[in-house]
Amino acid sequence: MPSLSSGAPVEEAPFATIVTSGGRYLLAAVNPAAAAAGLAPGMPLADALSFLPGLATEAAEPAGDAAALNRLAEWCGRYSPWTAPDGIYGVRIEITGCAHLWGGEAALAADLARRLLRQDIAHRIAVAGSLGAAWALARFAAGADQPALPGPGEERAALAALPVEALRLDPSTASGLRRVGLKRIGELTPVPRDALARRFGEQVARRLDQMHGDLPEPLSPLCEAPVRRVRLSFAEPIADPADLARAAERLADDLVARLAREGMGARQLDLAFHRIDGRVEHIRLGTAQPSRDSHHLAGLLAARLETIDPGFGVEDMILAVFATEKLAPEQMALGASGLPLPQAGEGWGGGIAPLLDRLGSRLGLAALSRIEPRESHIPERASIFAPVEETRPAKGTVIPGRRAAANPEPMNTSLWNMDSGSAAARHPGMTGKKAGRNAAANPPRPIRLFAPPEPIEASWLLPDDPPFRFTWRRRAHRVRRADGPERIAEEWWTSGALLARGAIRDYYRVEDVEGRRFWLFRAGLPGSPPPRWFVHGLFA
Amino acid sequence: MSCVANSSLTALRDRIRHIERPARHGVLPFGVAALDGALPGGGLALGAVHEITGAGGDEEDGAAAAGFAAGILARLGSLTVIPGRECSERARNDNPPRATGNGIVLWCLRRPDLYGSGLLAYGLDPARLVLVQASRDDAILWAVEEGLRTGLAAGLAAVVGEIGHLSMVAGRRLQLAAERSGVIALILRRWRSAQEAAAERDRPSAALTRWRVAALSSAEIAGEPGIGRPRPHPNAPPLAGEGMGGGGAGNGWGLGIGRPRWRVALLRVRGGESSSWDVEVADATGHVSLSAELADRPAAPARLGAEPLVRRAG
Repeated sequence: MPSLSSGAPVEEAPFATIVTSGGRYLLAAVNPAAAAAGLAPGMPLADALSFLPGLATEAAEPAGDAAALNRLAEWCGRYSPWTAPDGIYGVRIEITGCAHLWGGEAALAADLARRLLRQDIAHRIAVAGSLGAAWALARFAAGADQPALPGPGEERAALAALPVEALRLDPSTASGLRRVGLKRIGELTPVPRDALARRFGEQVARRLDQMHGDLPEPLSPLCEAPVRRVRLSFAEPIADPADLARAAERLADDLVARLAREGMGARQLDLAFHRIDGRVEHIRLGTAQPSRDSHHLAGLLAARLETIDPGFGVEDMILAVFATEKLAPEQMALGASGLPLPQAGEGWGGGIAPLLDRLGSRLGLAALSRIEPRESHIPERASIFAPVEETRPAKGTVIPGRRAAANPEPMNTSLWNMDSGSAAARHPGMTGKKAGRNAAANPPRPIRLFAPPEPIEASWLLPDDPPFRFTWRRRAHRVRRADGPERIAEEWWTSGALLARGAIRDYYRVEDVEGRRFWLFRAGLPGSPPPRWFVHGLFA
Repeated sequence: MSCVANSSLTALRDRIRHIERPARHGVLPFGVAALDGALPGGGLALGAVHEITGAGGDEEDGAAAAGFAAGILARLGSLTVIPGRECSERARNDNPPRATGNGIVLWCLRRPDLYGSGLLAYGLDPARLVLVQASRDDAILWAVEEGLRTGLAAGLAAVVGEIGHLSMVAGRRLQLAAERSGVIALILRRWRSAQEAAAERDRPSAALTRWRVAALSSAEIAGEPGIGRPRPHPNAPPLAGEGMGGGGAGNGWGLGIGRPRWRVALLRVRGGESSSWDVEVADATGHVSLSAELADRPAAPARLGAEPLVRRAG
């Protein structure tokens, strides 16, 4: 587990960044020239200026530093998916199971050192069996160009020689240890644990155990750890869109081969482009249905390639899967070849999923929806727009009030009938006229519904009459025929969040002189305050 | 000599007919002789782009156009489609109609204002719809084209796009994509304002047909039992006497307003005649029928109303 620390850029003149703390100016970081003159972070600026009157200073930017460190940690994702910034100048990389990909820990450290040097990042690298040991070795044992890589049996010995500060203690505890003559980690080992704990608290013992790997210390990665990931590194950085597309295709092929072995399909993908300047660009996408069609996935990625700025070149591409779902082998072929059409009620099956993914990756999956019935008498609640992701035929479970997308029944319109004017709509052998007469039980519903309803200026005669004239969108309409009212009130079993308290809507179907048919309603009862009128929908 | 000339002429005619054949993928008949007769092949060509516009204020809302489209889509799902094209009796007998099954309909629109129950009333099961929402015309055009490219194999039966501006080039692209895949595309022209409508209305397009669907006042029902007479007040509208709660003489809903009707105008059709009909709106099986007053008229199509018809070369 290497840990690295970066100092300020190497410069000739002494230089330090400063922070204000409690009304004083303190040094935040110093460059090697300043350090050579005896300056150290944490020193008051006044003292530092007495050492070095010509010290150049600049205000520190802790937020900028943290962001840069974060970027660095993200860039280190090329070595392992588990990376995280450590403190204010370290990066932790969990390389368990990754080192062999680079030819061993030493080769990995050498590669990391070479690439960091190219970015002008001063660093010290250590690889060790525990987080604490790597931390200590990187800061107190590793040289600027000599990574600390103790062999399998040498770690304890290497650590024993380090000063007690390497235990990640608060400064007061460390100085306390020094006061009683315990200067090296090796000197702590013979001291009884309870004596240490009594004198210095349990922190010392805990840190010791963590360092030696006797106490677990979890590493929380920077971002969610992917389920699967594949990496492609280039000898020379590439920037040509065609090359990037080809590389994305190869990654998709690699990934699909692995997913196929496991019988899984990808739902969420992330393609990371590690640029040569240490920045990382991402393409993140989701699929409407688990997929392991490499052609399809590569197409989705290629469609988004234009959003990527390759800068001076991309040296690594990493395709990671963050969510997978079981995908039976035979489901795959549906997308590619012309197999039987999905029957009604089957949702969209496998065939249309690639299309939905293509649409979703350009317009956003939120732009895709289907109309679903709900058990409600309130018109705008009875028909809702459900995102396609939620309605995909997944588990075959029926959520109450929602029609199962995978329902094998050809037509399940009972929920629609709750609201619609077509009880007989689906009755076989019934002619239109009969259906129309039987629709008496269910009042007709418009084909376009406005959400929210649009207010109109209306004139009416008697309290229960529909308007004989109304103005909607600055156009006047004269009503020739009307039908109504149909009263729709708040459902007593809901809390009444939608309609105002006690609000009652009386719906009228009216036809103007041109023949256009509107669905109007009056909100509130006739009387005072005067009721307001709205257009809620249009009939064809 | 003349025999050779004749045969080559026939071959040439056949080729031209093949190239011009508007209904390579079969047609969807309306089931109304007057409408089907005006369309080459005896119905709405599949694998082609058809434009539908509203009329008056409905050019902005597209309610009648959506109803007309829903009826077509409903029949596309449940009815049989006649294969081939100029359907002589013999051809019909040779190729029995095939069922298309209930395919998915990709409906691309600017804002989702479709209402499920309303669609069901025209026979279109809302569960068949996948809505694609995009704010700009070019994004909708792209989505429509993607849908058309996907083809019938994916289970897509039709693509609907609600578009304001449709350039000749874009329309041609859609038409080619539709021809290749056999998916029918219905373009509902929906304009944001009367000005935009006026500017766009008469533009030529590459669509195979262009329809205008105008709401027509509903059938007269006053005088039937239980229906109130028009009120004497000069401004008052004639009203249905009975509401839902009243019940009256057992008459419920749908009686104050009679069976709604449309004036369906076929403004432009490649290889066919423009004409217009007054029809009753699509019922729950997606069928339109000629209005009662018109049903007994001779077969000659009614002339269009106010506007003179302009036929443009396709």
